[in-house]
Amino acid sequence: MGITRRRFLQGSALAGAAAGAAAGQRLLFGELETVVAAHPALAVAPSVEDFVPTTCWIGKQDCGIIARRINGRVISLAGQPEHPLNLGALCPKGPAQITALYDPNRVKTPLIRTNAKGQSGTWRRASWKEAIDLVAARVKETRDKDPKLVLWQKGRSKAKSFYDDAFVNSLGATKLGHGTYCSDAGYRALEYTIGLTGVLHPDFRETRYLLSWGWNITNGGGNKFCWITWPRQMLEARERGMKIVQIDPRLRGAGPFADRWLPIRPGTDLALALAFSNVLVAEGYVDGEYLARYTNAATLVRNDGTLVRVDGVPQVWDAAADGPAPLETASQPALDGAYTVDGMPARPAFELYREQIASYTPEWAADVCGLAADEIRGVAIEFGRNARIGSTTVVDGVRVPYRPVGIAAYHMSQQELGFQAVRAMLMMTMLVGAPGAVGGQMADTSWKIDKNYTALDEVEVKDPPYGYTLKSSRYFPINSGFPGMVAKVMLDPRRYGVEKLPEVMITHYVNPLVSFLSRREFIESYAKFKFVADISPWLSETADYFADVVLPAATLEKYEGPSSANDQYTDAVALRVPAMAPLFESRGEIDIYLDLTEAVGVLYGEGGYLDELNKSLKLEPPHALPLDKKPTPREIFDHWALAQGIEQGVSHFETKGVYVKGPLKPAKRYGYVTDPPFGGALHRFYGESLLRYRNEMQAKGAEEVYWRDYTPFPTWRSLTMDASPAEYDLDLISYKLIEHKQSRTGFMPLLAELAPRQRLDINPRTARERGIADGDEVWVESQNAVTGETRRVRTRASYTEAIRPDTVGMPNHFGLWADPRARERGPSPNEIYYVGEGYMTNTADQSFLVKVRVSRA
Amino acid sequence: MPKYAMAVDLERCQGCRACVEACKVENNTSQGVFWMHVFRLEEGEYPETRISFLPRPCQHCDNAPCVKVCPVGARYKRIDGLVLTDYERCIGCRYCEVACPYGVNFFNWKQPAENYYMDWSDPDIQPASGGEVPPYRNPELDGRYGSEQKQVAGGGHFRGIVEKCTFCVQRIEKGLQPACVTVCPVQALVFGDLEDQESPVSTYLRGKQSFRLLEETGTEPRVHYIGGRTPGTDVREIEPVEGRVGA
Repeated sequence: MGITRRRFLQGSALAGAAAGAAAGQRLLFGELETVVAAHPALAVAPSVEDFVPTTCWIGKQDCGIIARRINGRVISLAGQPEHPLNLGALCPKGPAQITALYDPNRVKTPLIRTNAKGQSGTWRRASWKEAIDLVAARVKETRDKDPKLVLWQKGRSKAKSFYDDAFVNSLGATKLGHGTYCSDAGYRALEYTIGLTGVLHPDFRETRYLLSWGWNITNGGGNKFCWITWPRQMLEARERGMKIVQIDPRLRGAGPFADRWLPIRPGTDLALALAFSNVLVAEGYVDGEYLARYTNAATLVRNDGTLVRVDGVPQVWDAAADGPAPLETASQPALDGAYTVDGMPARPAFELYREQIASYTPEWAADVCGLAADEIRGVAIEFGRNARIGSTTVVDGVRVPYRPVGIAAYHMSQQELGFQAVRAMLMMTMLVGAPGAVGGQMADTSWKIDKNYTALDEVEVKDPPYGYTLKSSRYFPINSGFPGMVAKVMLDPRRYGVEKLPEVMITHYVNPLVSFLSRREFIESYAKFKFVADISPWLSETADYFADVVLPAATLEKYEGPSSANDQYTDAVALRVPAMAPLFESRGEIDIYLDLTEAVGVLYGEGGYLDELNKSLKLEPPHALPLDKKPTPREIFDHWALAQGIEQGVSHFETKGVYVKGPLKPAKRYGYVTDPPFGGALHRFYGESLLRYRNEMQAKGAEEVYWRDYTPFPTWRSLTMDASPAEYDLDLISYKLIEHKQSRTGFMPLLAELAPRQRLDINPRTARERGIADGDEVWVESQNAVTGETRRVRTRASYTEAIRPDTVGMPNHFGLWADPRARERGPSPNEIYYVGEGYMTNTADQSFLVKVRVSRA
Repeated sequence: MPKYAMAVDLERCQGCRACVEACKVENNTSQGVFWMHVFRLEEGEYPETRISFLPRPCQHCDNAPCVKVCPVGARYKRIDGLVLTDYERCIGCRYCEVACPYGVNFFNWKQPAENYYMDWSDPDIQPASGGEVPPYRNPELDGRYGSEQKQVAGGGHFRGIVEKCTFCVQRIEKGLQPACVTVCPVQALVFGDLEDQESPVSTYLRGKQSFRLLEETGTEPRVHYIGGRTPGTDVREIEPVEGRVGA
């Protein structure tokens, strides 16, 4: 048979590979014409090969990509070798997004809904003009009444959010982000405490001892960067001898890279950080020099918790002068002791801290965290010893304190006590003087002080009525802008003292019905919007149910940027350049916003979209955009590039993709040696304003659930979910898979092939006790300890020994239905979490903690 | 004449499967076909659990059992070490698949053009795809390679034949690295010429302990593994993909 076929092939080649002649002849497998028809390229004309530098369009850090094209058709996506973040490499989402580019299931033209909302949509195709005019008319109508009632929300922004901000500002609209589901509680903790906008990451080139705290090393990226840059830096550090302690209920995220695993009980991170700090203080791992000079730990505190001030200036006790003095002039600020100032007793904040931390022993935390006390003590001592307090080193000719210990933590901040947990973790590194030291604790790629350092310290807690985001309210003085809370407010505005609700919603590549927690609140609140417009390449579930209009965005086929390409050691910036012309009738978002603002009548002139673009891109004459002429996105980036001093303008990026500025100097990287040190921000070891908010919230009648976590030092309390009935005996955690990004990839076939469906990670011991075999269908039912509500999803049990027996886990993807290829891949765990009091932080951030019970379906 | 080989650093591999995806796009393999696969493995009992990853391309054995059993000489060993399949000779008997202890051979059960994940016949994508299936179809895979000028590159050419990893013959003949090597975010894969003492693979392997998979079977693989630990008896695969990837 085989010989027959081979002979036939030879024969067919001789016969000129005529497809028609072979039709109908049966071989061993199938029709002959397929054999011949599969070779169209054998006879085609020479191909033209070229390469377009662009950037990843799925992940967070916009990795540099080179699109390889044959005759203008993109055939593969590879990494840009010169891009500091990915150095020629990509993660699985990189090459796989090529199917997204050509996906025939993308939204091809603007769509206008033809059925009632609250159900799967039916649509008619519309022209861009009709769709834009319709959206503009509805925006204008509401805006004329009150601009704040126009609500705009995006998912994770690609690149710098300049064109989004310009749009929101030119309308005077209200903006919501996705950060309250991501890591905002951690951002707020660091902005408040040290003035940096970031969470926690190490100085990988120098660190020796890393607490990987809920960091999903092999799947999840982290603060500032995606999945490629951190793991590469982590591996290099490990090859130099850095040790990793993985603090995580689940080991899978750390992969083989944990030297030690502390399988902590979910939600008890604050307790562990306090116990670590207890040991550091007890064992004398305290950098008094840093604490006294660069933090407010020496500041004198009165019995009522307020700081001792003279002429408004906080005082320390100057041991040299034996009297109070401002920190700047004190030659020996005391961290210990008890003093009398103006006849009133006062003690340094650190003395109060020492007293409070004494009760948080490892033995106490062992019980709370489900860990062994000697393990907690052992890690704390290793951390303290590795910190080498008092040592310095020379980097690029500059002598800098050397504290080679740090914490990597990011999404774990989204837990009930997240703000204080991250603050406590940071304070643990502050005890040893690690922030801003070589090898020490980092949070951002520079020491630029964020405006929230001051703003979060000076919140004025107001009386109602409140705006619907509850900013400056007695509920959330520090407020991350939580879409879940907005949804709750929309369902019961009087309960929160809110009078006006948003009317028009513009959703930009965000999918609250699936990506955010607690679908019920979103469905009910979206039903109240008078008009919803969605901008996205695909039809999201939210748009499917609630959009009046869908505007199709391009994916890789557009100009977008600028994206930072800074890997924390080399500074660089990149742009996305269209890999090909936009498919179908899709358009880049900047084009869409230009048209939309023009139709609303806010494109031109002062305060218009063009003016706001100039402001958000910091474009000054001669590089500012003229306010009377509509530019193309390419022209906008040309102005921007020239303003950066890039002589070739945008064409630099069209040929090279990335603009590398060079290595970051120690004076930018290390807080101790910036000018002024730490960007001039005094680190708030003691949070006086947190106490002030607590008092003001109480005075204005807020319930305890809102003010209880506003404490000047992080303070442990039991978790809301622990009040669930005993039969809800397991903690549910959710986590990321490397193959997927939020709800944006479940329908991409190459990625879905690798990670096809939902599962419940369960320890075999736990499963067997419930009669559940590996692969069995199970119900996972959660319970809200505040309201008594229960919710359940059905999925498959997946045995793993890499999880605590009292914890179960589910990846936070899946649960999509709008795209046929994403259906029947199982639910999203987001469906069984809760939004609202007890299931959020004191900063209006979502908590991803809940008690569940699991049973065979 | 070069002597091609690959080194896989198990101390670096993070199991992300970027190599799997880069291979699939570069070589246009159809659905369920994984020339490169990365096993994710777990062993031990809580809390003494260990996670590990094992990338598994074709081992390009010097004593390749698949070559020996091929009744029509379609599977052959090139002088530079590549084990390739002459698609014009393969009769789809699948003896190679049975003989190979590594499970790297994939039989095309379906018409490849109808097995590229989606229906690409949508008229709206034709202006961009030029009618190619899949739209990212790589024309270099239709070329002829090596001094013998055989059609050996890429996947998805015919139903009823067997395909496997070629070390990206279409790339290495141009002086490029295989797609899996280029894409790897943590440089866990290293490819090159063992004859050249300065090649990446030679320098990488020098002075390091390495082993090869199922060395005891005498297959003499050209893929060398560095680091890692011998798996215990209770090692189990986690997070399987949609497709057959085991031996």
